[in-house]
Amino acid sequence: MKVSLFEQVPYRYLPDGFGDQYSSAVTPPYHIVDPARMQESLYSAYAELMHGARAGFDGIVVTEHSQSSYDMSPNPTLLAYAVATAAQAEGLDIAITILGRSLGKTREPLKIAEEYALLDCVSGGRLIAGFPVGLSYDANLNASLPAIETRERAREHRELILKAWSTMEPFPWNGRFEKYGLVNIWPRPIQQPHPPVWIPGTGSPGTLRDILRNDFAFTYLSWDGPKLVGREVFDRYWHMADEMGRDRNPYRLAFVQVAAVAETDERAEKEYAEHLMALYHGGLGAIPGTMMAVPGYAEPAAIEAMLRAGGPDGMLARMKTATFKDIVDTQVAIVGSPATVADQIEAFVREFRVGNLLIMLQNGSMPRGLTEKNISLFAEQVLPRLRPIWDDEGWVNHWWPRAQGTAAAAGADSRPAGGEA
Amino acid sequence: MTASAAAVRDEPVRVWGGRLNLHVKVAGEGPPLIFFHALSGLTWEPLLDQFAAEYTVYAPEHPGTSPGEPRAIDEVQTFWELMLVYEELIRALGLERPLAVGQSYGGMVAADLAATFPQLFSRLVLLSPAGLWLDHAPIPVMQMVAGPPGDLPRYMFAHPEGPGAQAMLAPPADPTLIPAAIAQQTWNIGCTTKFAWPIPDLGLGRRLHRVAVPTLVVWGRQDALIAVDYAAEFGSQIAGSQVEIIDDCGHVIQADQPAATWTTISKFLAT
Repeated sequence: MKVSLFEQVPYRYLPDGFGDQYSSAVTPPYHIVDPARMQESLYSAYAELMHGARAGFDGIVVTEHSQSSYDMSPNPTLLAYAVATAAQAEGLDIAITILGRSLGKTREPLKIAEEYALLDCVSGGRLIAGFPVGLSYDANLNASLPAIETRERAREHRELILKAWSTMEPFPWNGRFEKYGLVNIWPRPIQQPHPPVWIPGTGSPGTLRDILRNDFAFTYLSWDGPKLVGREVFDRYWHMADEMGRDRNPYRLAFVQVAAVAETDERAEKEYAEHLMALYHGGLGAIPGTMMAVPGYAEPAAIEAMLRAGGPDGMLARMKTATFKDIVDTQVAIVGSPATVADQIEAFVREFRVGNLLIMLQNGSMPRGLTEKNISLFAEQVLPRLRPIWDDEGWVNHWWPRAQGTAAAAGADSRPAGGEA
Repeated sequence: MTASAAAVRDEPVRVWGGRLNLHVKVAGEGPPLIFFHALSGLTWEPLLDQFAAEYTVYAPEHPGTSPGEPRAIDEVQTFWELMLVYEELIRALGLERPLAVGQSYGGMVAADLAATFPQLFSRLVLLSPAGLWLDHAPIPVMQMVAGPPGDLPRYMFAHPEGPGAQAMLAPPADPTLIPAAIAQQTWNIGCTTKFAWPIPDLGLGRRLHRVAVPTLVVWGRQDALIAVDYAAEFGSQIAGSQVEIIDDCGHVIQADQPAATWTTISKFLAT
């Protein structure tokens, strides 16, 4: 299987009790920020991704959020570009995954087409293109677009971007939301007709059907771990795949998992608990539920079903009050010795047929030194147990980049110096 | 005399080239009155009963807000199309220059219809309407709609504990109906905010001079959603209009001050 290092970009120095006082999205107060610590928080994210690339992860993964203290990544293409060029310089063969630019939020979809294409070219054809609709708070509050149009907007943007990548002649686009006289982006992706497309979502039937129909990969981005709602979503996906005549190739499925590894289980709790709880209490848990579904974002039937079920099944709604034991028992985070972590991950990966695993190893207030230890231990002692998991079934990962040549050679200018241009 | 709830009938009207089935609640007898509801959708309330005692009240449900037809909103892409849809509806109902009443978002709809089609209505009554923007008095639509549900009453009412407010805030008596009611109201707000998001200013101020019928503008002095400052703004932009401010009163004036609201409106209608 393929294992990528997933990283968000939190401000790591939130004051105690931040989540009790403030929202981590849309309205987090900026006066709490120390500029030097901001610089350190941002640079650490880059350094840790490079540490993971050098340690042997198959790829790196970044996400997009605006006006948030838990993921300061208004344009993840910037961070991904830095990692992609550094990886070229060092000869590291890693996939670059963006999960992704929010299609329901953007007012400039062709910028996404251009920036993704640029990344695919500079990385030598190593981009995985994530196409999320986008969170409601980001699309409907930060970008202030009407909630009821979010999905329709995302659909049009995806169609436009895919066409812009693979159409060689300039073409006009007369859409509902976008109108362009001549579309002719430079560059276009190396991977034609398009880089692998991953669709992040929470697993609604409509989204899953769309993914399977188009032969994209489903990326389950829940932060709930595999136990709470995993079975329902994964079972739905594979049953739907059967019904629609798609095979059960595990690489059709990507999954995000938070993990923390130390020498022993006891030491893992001692070292990581405080930082993990900062993520759940002050980060993800501090996004108000009303911001996750601005009226119009979800249809009445979906809202009614959720209310009848007594609220969301997952951990998000109660993350702010969760204890470390809650988090670990539910596997929202998998924490422990390398053996503990590998056992738990291997079990759910096999059970749910996850082919692309995205591991989140920096969380909340976790400092760079500890994060790099987490990355190293995972790469050295957990990763080798996970990598061969699907080898015996012989599947091809059609949802992995089709890189050309070695990383180091890809960008070299072979013309002699001083020669005629 | 007031119309009982049983006397309110649902009249479906097909408009927009047959693509849209609008539901209009109709009650009462007399000259035609068309009522445009606020952000959260249409509920048949005492004010409409009062109107129905003297008028035939036509209260259209905004596209998408009729139960069971949520995606009807997709047929109306822009506010300009909404104007055309309502103009078609009034013709399809055969209404000859009805009296128009609009509240809040519905006030913005009624005012823009009156500006777009100066011959459409006979008179116009605007109850704390949206549609204009003053930088010194921002309208917190986003904060209200996406904020904690517990904050809602304080945007709506000067007296959230009063009988009018309590009647509007009361959930269905049958608890099994509550999830569907919340879901419907949430979706309704999604449908109306499509044209009022994030700032309910679509240029009405550039068109208001076209309003050519007698107009009453009513505001609550303690309005916490659309500040009373806007009353004078509407008054000055609609020539010959009458502006009335009700004291000790929030955004939903007929809930906070039902008697004063009715007196103000009926005095205007009697002139």
